[in-house]
Amino acid sequence: MTHIEALASCLLEGDPDKAWACIENYPESARPDVYHNLMTPAMRHIGHLWETNKITVADEHLATATCDFILSRLSYGIGKETSAGKAMFLCLDGEQHYLGLKMVDSLFKEHGWETRYFGPSLPLEYALHTAENWKPDVIGLSVSIVYHLPKLQQYVDAFSRLPENPAVLVGGRLTDLYNLRPHCKEDTVILRSLPETERWIQNDLTGGQQSGTTNSTPSPPVFES
Amino acid sequence: MEQLTLPLPLPYLKVNRDGRIVAYSALAEDHFDLSSGHIRTLVDEESINKLDRISSEAGLSPVKMELNMKTNENPLGLFDVHLQWDSENQAGMIFLPKDSSNEELIQKLADIQNRLSSSDFELLEKKEELENVLKRMDRLSGPFIPLSDTLCLIPLFGDITADKINTISESCLQSVFSGSYEMVLFDLTAVGEVHADGIGTFIQLVKTLKFMTGNVIKLIGIKPNLAKELNRHDLDQWVQFNHSLKEELTYLDQ
Repeated sequence: MTHIEALASCLLEGDPDKAWACIENYPESARPDVYHNLMTPAMRHIGHLWETNKITVADEHLATATCDFILSRLSYGIGKETSAGKAMFLCLDGEQHYLGLKMVDSLFKEHGWETRYFGPSLPLEYALHTAENWKPDVIGLSVSIVYHLPKLQQYVDAFSRLPENPAVLVGGRLTDLYNLRPHCKEDTVILRSLPETERWIQNDLTGGQQSGTTNSTPSPPVFES
Repeated sequence: MEQLTLPLPLPYLKVNRDGRIVAYSALAEDHFDLSSGHIRTLVDEESINKLDRISSEAGLSPVKMELNMKTNENPLGLFDVHLQWDSENQAGMIFLPKDSSNEELIQKLADIQNRLSSSDFELLEKKEELENVLKRMDRLSGPFIPLSDTLCLIPLFGDITADKINTISESCLQSVFSGSYEMVLFDLTAVGEVHADGIGTFIQLVKTLKFMTGNVIKLIGIKPNLAKELNRHDLDQWVQFNHSLKEELTYLDQ
């Protein structure tokens, strides 16, 4: 069994200790590697198991909760020193797929950002309220279900009217399946994978050009659970 | 497309190999928008491949699968779908909505888990804080006090543990070395409990000071419990003793 399948099976069992042991046995220890090359493919594998009628949605929920716990444990203790900027992360109203968003939150923290992570389904009014008061430099949105797409435009429009003009980042499973540009503004940054997100963070640090990409080579989607 | 007159308690569709709906029950019409006459328009885009694959592999025995369906109420509703082909190449499909009370339970479970994991991490954080506080307390439990150019005093407070003496040693040695003291007084009046490993570390500190500086080292204010411990270590060649700081200072005055 590969590392990925082994982790997927521990997550489906809902056994956080065994799942943690899988993470520790994985030869790479850097968080982005673990997120991108182990945890994301494991959750994709679980999605595949549903598609092939091997498991039910209830099993997926258990795996998601276990994976969530592992993510919390992995990112515990980082982000004590914050100097890079402020970023908030949320899923569109109704959107429940939050694991990728949580990984992105962790990446930002690791790069010295002060972050606020709101997880699944944050109504626009709450998001706006926080953005107005807390004044983040970056707002990260995640969307994974097609019929939530119309809301994406509402969120992006609302955030683009904020006086501080924060950078709006969009990620999620759909970024890899569809062209989301028509649902966004010109300057919305669409990020299709964790490595792409890391490059954006590094570019931001060096003040490089920040357009995001929409035509890079396909890689596993970010915000999938 | 024909409506079945049979009163069925669950939505029921009969479809052919092309996915065209041949017959439907009254409840199927209530649940789904059947105007297109095709099963594909009722199934969520990302469930279509699953339906295709499972139904084509089914043979004549019944199969069960979970599918996300577009209903009149909800753009995405989860159903258990039971399907069986008959000899005329038509599949009967029964749609069993996944009980929404399940969803509530799952949500509650998730909430509890969130709380548990956050309190777990809060505990870890508190533990770290506590360790820092203890370390700080240790550092403050052995202040270095220069009394004159040649005389310094280090009163020890609280229990004598190896951790505490290790924490104190570094700053103590540095301070003694940086001055030109001839006598170092350790005041042990405020010492509480004495741990065996703590006393061992303390004696090492005393010996180091003696070796490195040749200073006179005096232990002051030794209480009975401490005296018992110290007695085992044959310290007479390393240190001198005095009853109290007051006596010592009066003596030095003369």
